Amino acid sequence: MESSDHTKVAILGAGHGGRALLDLLHQIPSIKIVGIADRDPEAPGLQRARELRIPVATDVPDLISNHGVSLIMDVTGDPAMETYLHAHKPPTADILSGSASRLLWELIQHESKLEAELLQAEKLAGIGSFAAGIAHDINNPLQLILGLAESLAEERNLSAVHEQARDIIEAVKRTSAICRDLTRYSRRASPHEDVLVCVNGKLDEALKIARYASSFHDIEMIKRYQPGAAVKGNPDELLHVLVNLITNAVHAMEHVGGTLTVETHVLDGLVDVRISDTGCGIAQDKIHEIFEPFFTTKAPGKGTGLGLYNVKTIVNKMHGTIAVASEIDKGSTFTLTFPNAEPTGQGCLS
Amino acid sequence: MSDFKSGFFVGGEACNGRVLVVDDEPDIRKVVKMTLQKAGYDVLEAENGEKAIETINSGENRLMLDVMICDIRMPKVNGVEAIAYFRSNYPHVPLIVLTGFPDTDMATSFLRQGVVDYLVKPVEGEKLRSAVARAMEQRELARL
Repeated sequence: MESSDHTKVAILGAGHGGRALLDLLHQIPSIKIVGIADRDPEAPGLQRARELRIPVATDVPDLISNHGVSLIMDVTGDPAMETYLHAHKPPTADILSGSASRLLWELIQHESKLEAELLQAEKLAGIGSFAAGIAHDINNPLQLILGLAESLAEERNLSAVHEQARDIIEAVKRTSAICRDLTRYSRRASPHEDVLVCVNGKLDEALKIARYASSFHDIEMIKRYQPGAAVKGNPDELLHVLVNLITNAVHAMEHVGGTLTVETHVLDGLVDVRISDTGCGIAQDKIHEIFEPFFTTKAPGKGTGLGLYNVKTIVNKMHGTIAVASEIDKGSTFTLTFPNAEPTGQGCLS
Repeated sequence: MSDFKSGFFVGGEACNGRVLVVDDEPDIRKVVKMTLQKAGYDVLEAENGEKAIETINSGENRLMLDVMICDIRMPKVNGVEAIAYFRSNYPHVPLIVLTGFPDTDMATSFLRQGVVDYLVKPVEGEKLRSAVARAMEQRELARL
């Protein structure tokens, strides 16, 4: 996933400003942070760098001269550092310091706020289409509860009373699980919460949510999970990605049925997540447009056109890639590839 | 009319009529069956439209089935397709829709197709039994 057209950045100063820059720049795939340095070995930015496996430099002259750095970001606020950099920086490197660094940080933060808004808006628009699924899944257990309660009112046989009461309790539990799943899904993704996420567990959660968005009737499901598939990222955002892709796959097979295959593979430090359908497919001349904002093939009111755009944004933020293979009337396969966050798979054996 | 019905016995017990419940949820079939059996109906079950079509076309059901209660969201042949089939092939068998998702447009379209009642889950036993009783009256009229 590395390439030579990366902007190689060195960050000087690992206080709160340096740490925030690290968090933001780390999410941008075209930027490679070659190192961060600070006089204080306990500086918060250095702690964060160790978590993100970004090199912590102790030697500033070495960091700025020997790693092909093209941009030096100086957030030390130290005039001596500024003077030193101007005298010693390699000719190919630019320096961004003081208020310019702060401005960049503010702009990036503003954009990430907008991105989060867009994501939430698209998610909420999608939840509108859950109404039929939610009504189905709540009203069915309610019918059972009502029928059993009416019967209980006349029941004389004590063991029948016990059995029916147990059935009512089970039905209530099932119904409350629906509300729990949905409130968890609909909440706003917590910002910058990069943690270890077990992909297999998230896929199961996404399958549960996607059932509200579309009818899984007449769809055969194949799950092939490889244990140890773990990625680094925001769990709420990954769930959103998976729900989106699964819902699209099921919609592609609407009315005709078919097979939905969800797979994970762990190989050579990479995690592949594959979601395939045997549905209508995507025309070759449209395939490059599907990740564009506002592109949709769905009827007005059925899709926002932001689903796959947001999917790609999130996947890229997680340092992953997304690829699609599709054939008309044969189906589509979306493959997400992420760096494996847990090469030994110890923390993630779901 | 009543003479005809009195000749109909199931398992040695007098029966108020035969009802087919079509729903993919076993729990729903169970409570509907329980509710209607208490009112003296003989209740058959089918888990989707395809099974319902099989059931109505098998053995004596072709003649002896009185009323159908049908869900909409189901696998295989769904409720909309099943109802279209029954209305054109068995127009004399009254249909009741019992759905978890109320949809005004769909309700209107069903009632126009001659569906007797459009009930939304959860429905009280009393309401369900009176809908079936009304449908049974229609069935009787169709026999005349």
